[in-house]
Amino acid sequence: MRILLDKFSKSFGTTKVIEDLTLEVADGEMLALLGPSGCGKSTTLFAICGIHKVTGGRILFGDRDVTDLPSQARSVGVVFQSYALYPHMTVAENIAFPLQVKKVAPDQIKREVDAIAALVHIENLLGRRPAELSGGQQQRVALARALVRKPDVLLLDEPLANLDAKLRLEMRSEIRRIQLETGITAILVTHDQVEAMSMCDRIAIMNAGEIVQLATPTEMYHNPRTAFVAGFLGNPPIAFLRGTARDGGFALDNSDIRLPLPVGTLSPADGSKLTLGIRPEDFGPLGDIAIPGKVSFVETQGRENLYDVRLADGSVLRSIQPVRGDIAVGNEVAWSASGAKVMVFGENGARI
Amino acid sequence: MNSSRSLGLMLLTPAIVLVVLFFLVPVALTAVFSFTNMSTATGITGGAYQIGPSSLQRLGDKYGFPELAERLSQPSYVIDERGLVALDAAGVDASTITEMRTHLGEVFPTRREAERMIKGLSARPSTREVKQISEQFNRSLLDTRYESEGDLLAGLDALGVEVTPAERDAVAASSYSGWTWTTDNFRRMVSTPDTLRTLINTVFYVAIVLVLFNTGYAMFLAITTYYMPETTGGIFRSIWLLPRITPPVIYVLMWKWLAWDTGFISMFLGQFGVAPKNWMLDSSTNAWVFVILINGFVGASMGMPVFSSALRAIPKSQFYASEVDGASRWQQIRYIILPQMRWPILFVTCYQTLSLLASFDLILLSTEGGPGGATEVWSLMTYHTALNNYAGNLEYGYGTALSLVLVVIGVTLSLIYLRVFNYNALVAKPLIEQ
Repeated sequence: MRILLDKFSKSFGTTKVIEDLTLEVADGEMLALLGPSGCGKSTTLFAICGIHKVTGGRILFGDRDVTDLPSQARSVGVVFQSYALYPHMTVAENIAFPLQVKKVAPDQIKREVDAIAALVHIENLLGRRPAELSGGQQQRVALARALVRKPDVLLLDEPLANLDAKLRLEMRSEIRRIQLETGITAILVTHDQVEAMSMCDRIAIMNAGEIVQLATPTEMYHNPRTAFVAGFLGNPPIAFLRGTARDGGFALDNSDIRLPLPVGTLSPADGSKLTLGIRPEDFGPLGDIAIPGKVSFVETQGRENLYDVRLADGSVLRSIQPVRGDIAVGNEVAWSASGAKVMVFGENGARI
Repeated sequence: MNSSRSLGLMLLTPAIVLVVLFFLVPVALTAVFSFTNMSTATGITGGAYQIGPSSLQRLGDKYGFPELAERLSQPSYVIDERGLVALDAAGVDASTITEMRTHLGEVFPTRREAERMIKGLSARPSTREVKQISEQFNRSLLDTRYESEGDLLAGLDALGVEVTPAERDAVAASSYSGWTWTTDNFRRMVSTPDTLRTLINTVFYVAIVLVLFNTGYAMFLAITTYYMPETTGGIFRSIWLLPRITPPVIYVLMWKWLAWDTGFISMFLGQFGVAPKNWMLDSSTNAWVFVILINGFVGASMGMPVFSSALRAIPKSQFYASEVDGASRWQQIRYIILPQMRWPILFVTCYQTLSLLASFDLILLSTEGGPGGATEVWSLMTYHTALNNYAGNLEYGYGTALSLVLVVIGVTLSLIYLRVFNYNALVAKPLIEQ
């Protein structure tokens, strides 16, 4: 079911957290709200499920205005960061709870619980209590409980934050599989760009209560609208070089390095401050804009190595390359950036 | 190793001394005293032997020697040196005294026999003189105080009362005015109908106050203030703590002002033509209502903070989750809060059972167990028996026997509770290894 936030605002006391935010999530879509802590993404989620009252604007599920409905009447399933399982109930009772409070007949409850348990692969855990489950199993129970009454909307609040790295990888694909199988409209709140990119159809990246960019993961990665977005996506992260526009080129601050601007960039006015963004995979032996520097750090990642290259002005570029044995810390290198991939940002951080 | 063990003992010593002095010794003394018949009448030191109306009564009724009692109650007449001296002082002439001396050591079981002998004297005393003389030889055991059993028996012998060994023991036992060892207290407890009534009162009182107020009402307050805004909830909780902070005497006095025949209730109902009366002591039902309210409001102020903090310990996310799961507020309380409050409820129940069993101050101050013993509970009965009653004979022995029952109940309940709470699991292992 479509979700529409129409000029939604939320403030706590006199603190305005979100103002006039408009966002539409299409039916069956999984959308990530991505952003740093305190950007308002969880507040938005809590407003959608009705835990927070909205201060202004409307929230629509389909064509139904749910702005003033209490959580109980909204038909949302929520997976909380801490899972919020009821410790005194068994797994089966936890999952059955949303049906139980709706006074569904016991045999029907049992059928639905069994069906949803099969979907999330926890059929053998139904008799246990939450304390006897691993983090990943608790996560599956929380998902099952959120989905059992077939809500219009599934909301996930940092669902993977409490899991260890291996489980996180597993649950990432599991949650996506379950979302696709049920076809439910879902919103995932996360601060982890990998989760957002790997699980969702679209990402809404938020900063300071505003949506900075709304796009598919690929589009957002390759075509970030601002330096903030470029910096937020990608691991290892993008490196920035600060400098000034001079004679249609880029002069790196505090050094005599001059670089041409990528083809197709509108020539900025002479003397204006610029920032170049270069992703690690776009800097290496094969590029067309040579940037000399000295290797200051080598991080071994197994299949690849990550090299930090310190430039004359002290700023650092990162390069990720297949493992090679000929480079050590302290070596002078003259690697190049791929001109077509270099991103140029203006003084206010916007892409030029 | 050894030094750390002795250091541990040294550190524990003050605690052990205090436990022994203030917990074990009182319990032991209670047990000891409960097997005595100490009272105001017997005193708590030793006693003396004295035959009197009540001891003779006991001798007849309890020891089964009514004839002996009857015999002892009659005066005897013994011609002895003391009587002769008294005659001299009374101005009886010397010849009569000399003649009397010849009868020295004779014992007359009745006045009539003694006077017949006196009438036969050569001086031929008048009837008036006979009476005067006989009076000097009236030797009764009644109301003579003997310091020891031997003195008492010597006195009996001197009167020429011939008794079997069984009778001697009975006389000694019945005339002893001090305290003795006895198990009568427990027999009396079982046979007195008041005991059963007080027991029923106690169970009723503890159960009602515990269920309605100490847990039920405290839980109600905790939950309602939890759902209130922070400040409002805080204010309400503070108000409910007031009965606990107020000195008990003033707190109860305010209730009395409320209930007196010139108090608030009477004045208010007077507006509607209801005759003023003392609402608290008017009937036993009213007395119970007040006793339960007075204790309940104080008791609720203990459970409320316990339940409040336990409520706060439930993660907020569970409340959020249950709301989005569709649970109404009542379902939230029923399925999420109450099941998780099991331990605090059990704790308050256990703790308050014991304190309700032992406390009687508010009842003493308000109804004093009245009207007519309707609100007398066990601990108050103990107090009335042993420490303060209208008759003035304080029965320490019976009182301690009554309180021993409370001690036994209390210890039993505590042991059960420790078991229920799995006390050993709650005690952390020492961080310092042995």
